[in-house]
Amino acid sequence: MVLGRIIAVHSYKGGTGKTLLSVNLAATFVKHGKKVCLLDLDFRAPSLSTILKIEKAEHWFNDYLNGTCEIDKALIDLSDGINNDGKLFVGLANPATEAIRDISAKDRKWEMRALGRLLALRNSLLNDKGFDYLIFDTSPGLQYSSINAIVSADLVIVATTFDKSDVDGTRRMLRELYDLFEKKTEIVLNKVLYDVSSKFGKEEVQTRIKDIYQVPILGIIPCFCDVSKAEGNIIFAQERLEHPFTKILDEMAYKIDNNKA
Amino acid sequence: MTKQEVLRKKSVQILEKIRESLEKLNERMEIMIELQKHGRRDVQPLPEAPLDVMTLLSMPDHLRKTAMTVCRLGRATADEVAQQTRRARAVESAYLNQLVIMGHLKKERKGRKAYFYVEKEDQG
Repeated sequence: MVLGRIIAVHSYKGGTGKTLLSVNLAATFVKHGKKVCLLDLDFRAPSLSTILKIEKAEHWFNDYLNGTCEIDKALIDLSDGINNDGKLFVGLANPATEAIRDISAKDRKWEMRALGRLLALRNSLLNDKGFDYLIFDTSPGLQYSSINAIVSADLVIVATTFDKSDVDGTRRMLRELYDLFEKKTEIVLNKVLYDVSSKFGKEEVQTRIKDIYQVPILGIIPCFCDVSKAEGNIIFAQERLEHPFTKILDEMAYKIDNNKA
Repeated sequence: MTKQEVLRKKSVQILEKIRESLEKLNERMEIMIELQKHGRRDVQPLPEAPLDVMTLLSMPDHLRKTAMTVCRLGRATADEVAQQTRRARAVESAYLNQLVIMGHLKKERKGRKAYFYVEKEDQG
């Protein structure tokens, strides 16, 4: 029996495209007939509720981590209208200022219990409910919630750009965070410019990234004006099936699916 | 049952008791060694030592591996941890007892088995 996997999408800096990647990767897996649960662990700057246009939830993912509800109550089923066997569930971080303040003030004991509840999802969602993938959209850098997500994950996808401080920080995190937890890590290089003014073509970019990080590359995403112009209103993997961005996501999902460690 | 069989059964029982006593002795010695390392006399764990990710990050590699395995398994014997980490049971037993003394893990005996787990009191 092939068990599902937990994927954490993380980055050193903000604005590298973690949420865009998480949402579109989830949509791609669903398109491929998978049962997926997308969880917002960016409690300091929640954004999934806006992107998925869900204004109110009966229970938030915060409630599950607080121990005030079980996981099935904290999930919203978005499978309506999906034309294949794929299923999509989401657990949202509460975007209310009070909730952000509340979760920012949690102590180490709470974080320890939150880790326990994240680890328990492997049994409750992957083993018992038969999910193929849990995708954690995390906050950037070394935040408690992100490290909890990384510790619980089977695969960490690191979204990065060619920004100098991002490269330095990502390299440090690879050595001092993911390696220490012995995590399988893959890089997604986002917002790459391939125009005539750029010194590098696609192959040079790949070689350069491999040299810098010494970990496998899951994908390279060029800077698409269409994606920026959409302002987060379009889930390309769902609504623009022929777009090159969608094709890249298809390749990434295929790689993950065929690389079950 | 023949006399020979009775004798054999008794021998096995005696050997099992000896093994059990040796295991207990070994465990006590491990605890004493760890206490000595930490300059302490009692086995009461440190009062505030939650096993959160920042604590895991700051641990030496060998202890982090053991601690993470217990986090993943929830509750485990030294044998079960050793199966996951592919290190010797005696090594894991020493690391687990060290984590108990440091206050990161709890230990509970059930019959001949000792179970290690992360403190989960005061939930909510």
